Amino acid sequence: MAHDGDALQYVQYHGAKEETYLPAIRQLISKDLSEPYSIYVYRYFLYQWGDLCYMALDSANELIGVVVCKLEPHRSGPCRGYIAMLAVRESHRGQGIATKLVCMAIDAMAARDADEIVLETEVTNQASLKLYERLGFLRSKRLHRYYLNGNAAFRLVLYMKEGTALKRPPVVDGQDGQMMGGLQKMEEYKGFAQDAEVT
Amino acid sequence: MADPALLYHDATASDADTLTASNGTGPAFASAESSRFAQTSLPLRQAPRRGAPPHIRDVTEKFTAACQALDVGQLVKDEYFTLFESIGAIEIMDPKMDSGFLQPGETLEDDFDPLAPLLPEELIGIMDQLLSYEMAWHTGYPLSQTLFTSVYIDRLLWPEPESIPQAQFYRDDILDDKRPGTLLDVLRAYCLALIKGCDYVIAKIMARDYFEEEDFSTHTYNRVLFVQAPIDVFLRELDASVEMIEDPDLQIDGGIRSAIVARLHFRKTFLCALDPECPLEILSSFWPPVVPFIDQVNDTHILGKTVPGSFSTKIQRRLASTVPPRPIVQVEFKDALQTLKQLCIDCKEATRFKDLPTDPLEYQSFLWTFASRQPAPLTYSRSYLSNILFDPYVLNAPVSLPLEDVQSFVFHESPILDPSNWALSPPRNPLMPKSPRLQFALLIDEFVERVGQSYLDLWVALGQNKCRLRRMLTHVIIAWDMLQQDAVFVDADLIAYALQLTISEEVMDGPLQTWVYIKKLWMIEKVVVLGFEQDIYLPDEYAGIYYFLSLMATKRKDALKRCVEHTNDRTVQFLQSSRFEDAQNTSEKISFIDSELQQATGISAFAKALHGIYTIANYLRLLPSPNRPFSTESLRYELRMKPFLSLQPPEVPPFEEFQAAVQPYGTYSDPSPSLHDDLRQADCKVWSDIDTSLKNAKDAFAKVKKYGAKESKAGGVEQAWNKEIQGMLASCIALGVTVAGLKSAVKDIEPGSKVQVKIEIPPAGASKRYVEGWIVPKIVKG
Ligand SMILES: CC(C)(COP(=O)(O)OP(=O)(O)OC[C@H]1O[C@@H](n2cnc3c(N)ncnc32)[C@H](O)[C@@H]1OP(=O)(O)O)[C@@H](O)C(=O)NCCC(=O)NCCS
Repeated sequence: MAHDGDALQYVQYHGAKEETYLPAIRQLISKDLSEPYSIYVYRYFLYQWGDLCYMALDSANELIGVVVCKLEPHRSGPCRGYIAMLAVRESHRGQGIATKLVCMAIDAMAARDADEIVLETEVTNQASLKLYERLGFLRSKRLHRYYLNGNAAFRLVLYMKEGTALKRPPVVDGQDGQMMGGLQKMEEYKGFAQDAEVT
Repeated sequence: MADPALLYHDATASDADTLTASNGTGPAFASAESSRFAQTSLPLRQAPRRGAPPHIRDVTEKFTAACQALDVGQLVKDEYFTLFESIGAIEIMDPKMDSGFLQPGETLEDDFDPLAPLLPEELIGIMDQLLSYEMAWHTGYPLSQTLFTSVYIDRLLWPEPESIPQAQFYRDDILDDKRPGTLLDVLRAYCLALIKGCDYVIAKIMARDYFEEEDFSTHTYNRVLFVQAPIDVFLRELDASVEMIEDPDLQIDGGIRSAIVARLHFRKTFLCALDPECPLEILSSFWPPVVPFIDQVNDTHILGKTVPGSFSTKIQRRLASTVPPRPIVQVEFKDALQTLKQLCIDCKEATRFKDLPTDPLEYQSFLWTFASRQPAPLTYSRSYLSNILFDPYVLNAPVSLPLEDVQSFVFHESPILDPSNWALSPPRNPLMPKSPRLQFALLIDEFVERVGQSYLDLWVALGQNKCRLRRMLTHVIIAWDMLQQDAVFVDADLIAYALQLTISEEVMDGPLQTWVYIKKLWMIEKVVVLGFEQDIYLPDEYAGIYYFLSLMATKRKDALKRCVEHTNDRTVQFLQSSRFEDAQNTSEKISFIDSELQQATGISAFAKALHGIYTIANYLRLLPSPNRPFSTESLRYELRMKPFLSLQPPEVPPFEEFQAAVQPYGTYSDPSPSLHDDLRQADCKVWSDIDTSLKNAKDAFAKVKKYGAKESKAGGVEQAWNKEIQGMLASCIALGVTVAGLKSAVKDIEPGSKVQVKIEIPPAGASKRYVEGWIVPKIVKG
């Protein structure tokens, strides 16, 4: 992808940079949202998985693009990476910036032993579908009225390791998998990974 | 990414695709009682106990002091702070989140006066606006963004009235000169009936499995929608209103007068149709009367004048909800009416269910066809059908429905189901062995009991929206897989007792497991076909997925073949022993099984032909094929096969086998040289395999068509069934054209040269496919 996104700098987020970057991240992400996320949603991800957030900055240190992720064991067993947010400034789209950011995030999650990476995107979001599918994601399911505007979503999945489909949660002493799953399920509640079932 | 709009949903545990059991019970479904949603046991903080008096303590000082100890940006996160909670959190003083935040000069309440006199055209305008919002609610938006934005509705419901007479646009005493006039009284009657209708709708939907937000929002924000009041009260108010409007003393334009009357009649007929107490036998008579009034409402909509001030988002601030105010949902009136009409049509269609013959396979055809209706039936219509399906009248059929299903496939005039087996009593001495025939009865009873839940699960899945249906089926399949394992044991016992009676030749080999297997394979095929319908697969995957589909259908075909053979054997046995009536009955049953067999044969052959053509297309690089730096073929195969990996049978083919099937000439980028030699010859195996499959498919579908809907146990949905089989035949013909086109395009092909044609994939959901789940590519000049 020899686009001219080269003058940009790609940097990993760090908690110490919250004051500098969080307002810009929020602004960039909210542009394409009908309603804003509260700051706690951003912090939920950035506080725990700041190292899975990458930013594209121009020479004036302006934020051009960002990707926000999380990574943790999923209740169904595998260690699941989740791409929660991705956006590139409108003036800079189509230059491979998002692709680069997503690749960096995937590499980082792979380095941290992710079995799979998932996300949801609107069924009509051609740019996003094309970007992820080019990298190897497949659509695994369609989610009816996933968005409140009534639109459906595709769940996209990328397996990173053989045997992911058969992974099961570890059984901890005296606690069955179900209980363990309980908390996870809550974690995955609507909005991000709506239906966290087994398929 | 996730939509922030999802963020503020009030908590309802409807996220997982868990199978939610239904509450239908009947003799066939003894163990069907269980909870609606899987309960999660979470180590959460204790919620304040209800009813405890509020205890208020000022923590400002403590809080300020605690904050002082933190740097800006430094975060404290306790382990209970989940994503869910972060999503539900709001920021104080952010105008978009903080519902108490007022812009300078903004007032908390609206100043619209619901007691101000209305013009007749304004009455029409408000009624029509309400109807639009009602339909928006039906399509999935919450009441808070639709009907509950009406100041009039708000006044009627809040403060909560103690009785219907108290439900007025004012409360308590009122000066006589402020008392609402006729038109406001009429509006009140209309609103009351509208609200009661919402109550009925919620009741019906909540009685069945649905998924909050995804399907429908049942939240009423602590408003009580006249749950206790009976329907007559509302009908009386409407009748009185009609009288008031028709009163010649009322000064009102004739056209407007009848427009208002039409709206009141619409409300009345609609409310009656929604009444959950409607007896099953006369359900169908309630929908047709609604439609002419909808047309009248449509024709006179132009007479109305909107009163925008009577709707406000500010009301949301007072609703019991953590949701910040959201914009009012805007719907075009004509779209709303279209939705309403469709709802009436779908519900009317659903009432036909009760006229079906008592045959679970007819039920299944009906459910499947209903779920496939275009446009997709609304949640209410689906619940409406489910309520009929799970009506005791249907479920308490004199026969066991699952057993009927089994019988249609495997037991024909079988000694195992001989009614006299059930008349036998166990030996007095429990140590004595029971007679083999009694054992038959006991084993069958046990199996029927065991099947009940899995059988219901399938029906419940068939009542969901189609995305959900596909996902739910993958779970139902797992349950049926376990059922099959149990069936193996029951079969072994059955055959052991048959041997004791030396009638083993009268019993099919593994009857119960064969039946379960056939049903399970049918579901697997449906999951795949729905995947095509829902655009789940990418074009370069088509070859592999159709390969898998063909494989599954072939297995079902083989199983059905054994059923046909057994039925034939039985007929011969009866003839030999001069049991002519039994012979006749048995051979009559063959039509259905053979129709199923031909159906499976057609699917397997047609999928095979598509597998062939898409494989060639992949080699010719006619389909987009991303380079996928982060993935491998085997990883993608694993992902695709995930829902089926645990099944046994059918075992998912090993990756190597799959690869050999989709890449017979080696990799697409560097195929073996024989590829081009073969492609040039129109009679070579690559092509002749496709031609043969296509011919087999056509023949098989033609046979199915000849059997017709009734023999195929789809008599209740004959029209749709005919359309589908016609579509399959048309797909075969279209594929033939494509094959011919591609053959001629490659007749001179050399390695490295490019074919001068392109492949077009007809898009999903655009009426560009003969059958949505079957993607026949088109060849166009390159
Ligand atoms: C999705 C988004 C992040 C892509 O950013 P980007 O930097 O333009 O992405 P890239 O340039 O790396 O790749 C996008 C690809 O989609 C293509 N594309 C863009 N718009 C498209 C469209 N309407 N139809 C088809 N393809 C489209 C681009 O051409 C490019 O492919 P190419 O490299 O083969 O030409 C950006 O469009 C965006 O911020 N959208 C709004 C937020 C959003 O939708 N986020 C994703 C939700 S998970």
